[in-house]
Amino acid sequence: MREVQLILAIGIVVAVTTAAHPSFVAPGNISFMLADASATAILAMGQTIVVLAKGIDLSVAPILGISAVLVAFPAQDLNLPIIVGLAIVLGVGLVLGAANGVLVSIARIPPIIATLATLSVYGGLQFIVAKGEEISNIPNSYAALGNDDIVAGVPWVLLIVIALAAAVTFFLRHTNMGRSIYAIGNDATAAHRSGIPVRRVTFISYTLCGILAGIGGLIYLCHVGSVDSTTGTADNINLTSIAATLIGGTALTGGRGGVAGSVLGAIFLSVALTAMVFALIPAIWEPAGVGALMLLAMLFDRRSTARSPSRTRRPRRAP
Amino acid sequence: MRPEDAADRHEVWQPGGSRYLASHVSKAFNGAGVLHDVSLVLEPGSVHSLLGENGAGKSTLFKIMSGLYEPDAGELVLGGERLDNLTPRSALQQGIYLVPQEPTLMAHLSAAENLYVGALPRHGRTRLVDWKRIARESRSVFERVGLDVDIETPARNLSIAQQQLLECARALVHNCRVILFDEPTSPLTPHEVEILFDLMQGLRSEGLALGFISHRLDEVISVSDQVTVLRDGRFVMNAPRDGYTRDELVTAMIGRPIGVRTRVRRSSDVTDRREILRVEDLSAPPTFTDVSFTLRQHEVAGLAGLVGSGRTEIAEAIFGLRRADHGRVVLDGTPLTHRTPRECIDAGLIYLPEDRARNGIFGEVDISRNVTAGIIPHLPRRWHLIRTDRELLLAEHATTRTAVRMQTLGSTINTLSGGNQQRAMIARWLLAEPKVAIFDEPTRGVDVGAKDDIYDIVTDLATSGLACLIISSDLEELALVCDRVLVIYEGRIVGEVEGEAVTTAHLGQLVVEGAM
Repeated sequence: MREVQLILAIGIVVAVTTAAHPSFVAPGNISFMLADASATAILAMGQTIVVLAKGIDLSVAPILGISAVLVAFPAQDLNLPIIVGLAIVLGVGLVLGAANGVLVSIARIPPIIATLATLSVYGGLQFIVAKGEEISNIPNSYAALGNDDIVAGVPWVLLIVIALAAAVTFFLRHTNMGRSIYAIGNDATAAHRSGIPVRRVTFISYTLCGILAGIGGLIYLCHVGSVDSTTGTADNINLTSIAATLIGGTALTGGRGGVAGSVLGAIFLSVALTAMVFALIPAIWEPAGVGALMLLAMLFDRRSTARSPSRTRRPRRAP
Repeated sequence: MRPEDAADRHEVWQPGGSRYLASHVSKAFNGAGVLHDVSLVLEPGSVHSLLGENGAGKSTLFKIMSGLYEPDAGELVLGGERLDNLTPRSALQQGIYLVPQEPTLMAHLSAAENLYVGALPRHGRTRLVDWKRIARESRSVFERVGLDVDIETPARNLSIAQQQLLECARALVHNCRVILFDEPTSPLTPHEVEILFDLMQGLRSEGLALGFISHRLDEVISVSDQVTVLRDGRFVMNAPRDGYTRDELVTAMIGRPIGVRTRVRRSSDVTDRREILRVEDLSAPPTFTDVSFTLRQHEVAGLAGLVGSGRTEIAEAIFGLRRADHGRVVLDGTPLTHRTPRECIDAGLIYLPEDRARNGIFGEVDISRNVTAGIIPHLPRRWHLIRTDRELLLAEHATTRTAVRMQTLGSTINTLSGGNQQRAMIARWLLAEPKVAIFDEPTRGVDVGAKDDIYDIVTDLATSGLACLIISSDLEELALVCDRVLVIYEGRIVGEVEGEAVTTAHLGQLVVEGAM
């Protein structure tokens, strides 16, 4: 089980770093690492849905950015209630995710190209809506949600992440649409032959990914407290969301995995990167660390699946 | 009586029954007609078999009847009701299920979920997936079809036979009225075939309408209530049980009386010829073990065996496409160690793979470059640049030798028919000036006339000095062209038949039972 492996891996990183720097397990630091993982974890959930359906979404970073910016302005100027902010990000994520869905499912553009293009388009859009400004005067209620603890070491946002993960897991496991996502990720042709509306399912997967990226934007805003025209993209959140998904055991080839692993993958990344900081490794090595962990996860994944018999052996005609 | 006449008659007697009629169906792909005005009636409570050679249009008809292809003309009528714009989804809703030739299961989903993919049972009020019901019902269905696996096993861990049974189980859980079996028996062992036939008899007595495609005449004769024979996409004959003889069926299938195709006679004594290929103790358990044999110049040898017996895998290991754990391959006195396809080609060993579309043909590339693709490093050059004029000459020469029928060498290769593509592939390999040629199912998907040509090419090659190894499921074909046949059973060579002893019956027994 990848989830168990990840918990062990997190445990090892924590143990080793704590041995050198006992302050690593101070409640403040634990809370920071968990809160820092939350936006990535939420984006990784959306990414997981898309990857399970054998897609990929490279545009989650600007969806997060645009959502955050569109909430940040009224929050700063009008002291917008968070609940209205939530409505905004849900709407923004829905629209931008649905646009991706249309490109992939109806226009049939390969997902990597379609979302690479919208990465650029949405990135430009984010510049326009942010008017090139940095918005950092966010009401206290937002910062409280993003940084306060329930008890020492357990931030509120972790509760949000767990609730969302539970909801998405339930959706993937117990609804017809959820199972259809797994099915088209396994074999879209066979799924079509089984009567699954492949295009609709693909569309829904990108839409859900967009919505989760929007929610991620709100959480990001609450946690970090400021946004600008490159938030998300500049934070490399595309890479980390995909890395968390793959490290969490979801197969890039589709049809296998789940969001629990992705959340643990995001936490693992956050813990490992913080450990790098404790080890006095300069921050410029962070992206390299994420990339290396992602590669390790892929190698590990191949080794663990290589030995099972393949189903691709084609039956041949016998006499 | 033409089948649609029967349908018209029944129309009056039995409206609303589950009789499934395909009437005057035609279908063409890219302008090439595959089905011409074919009709078929599946009666409830009976098994109707479709017979015909490869490319006769059997699978195409079943695919149209299950909504995978749209017919160009003709109509489908189920129980008196016309089915327009049939899709796989609406076919399933109508209770029509196609058990495909190759199981199409979801590799990472559980066996139980695979049963219901596309129509998962759900709780009435919440619309959530009813996993309890799935578990309960799949256990009972698995028992019914004789599938003895844990319902949570991912499909990728099932054997091909188990996957095939799972496909049948799928039809059952969807309460289908019509089940079409497209060559379900080809990957199965005799015992598994029996299980499947018991299952089919059970379904038949429950009043389902069953369609069945098989290449094995004996199977067809034993299970069918009706037989329809297609040839080259056209209806040839239809007869009820006991309304035909075996010979009539064969004649209808191949379009000429049996026995016309005669064994290719060549100077049969090859024992004094020089040994050219020696394979020693080639092993990659569990796929194949201790495979040893030799080939001599001027010899046509065959490799017979059931699906999954390791035939293709052995050839791939010889050609360096697959790792062998140990063993040696010696070509003309030179051991080939660390084999790669490149090294084998350069040494004079060539391999024509079974699945041309996947392994050999560059579909969108023109014929000439497809033909020269195997010798790119050796093409004539000037200043290191390939001389395309000379390349074209080479291609022309080779394609003339294998008699490829084509417009020009410049047209893309996927404009050629299956048989001509196969000739182009042979032309490619001739350019490598091989000493040994391995043909894997050389006539699969090739029409009847082209088959004989390919046999001619093979025998010509042998006459010119090559050693040829033919892998084939078609025992008749092996008996026709081979001087000697090696029989593989579960990854081991269990027999070698030579000269006059190479007969279909003799081979058949070895292939199926592993011993005489």
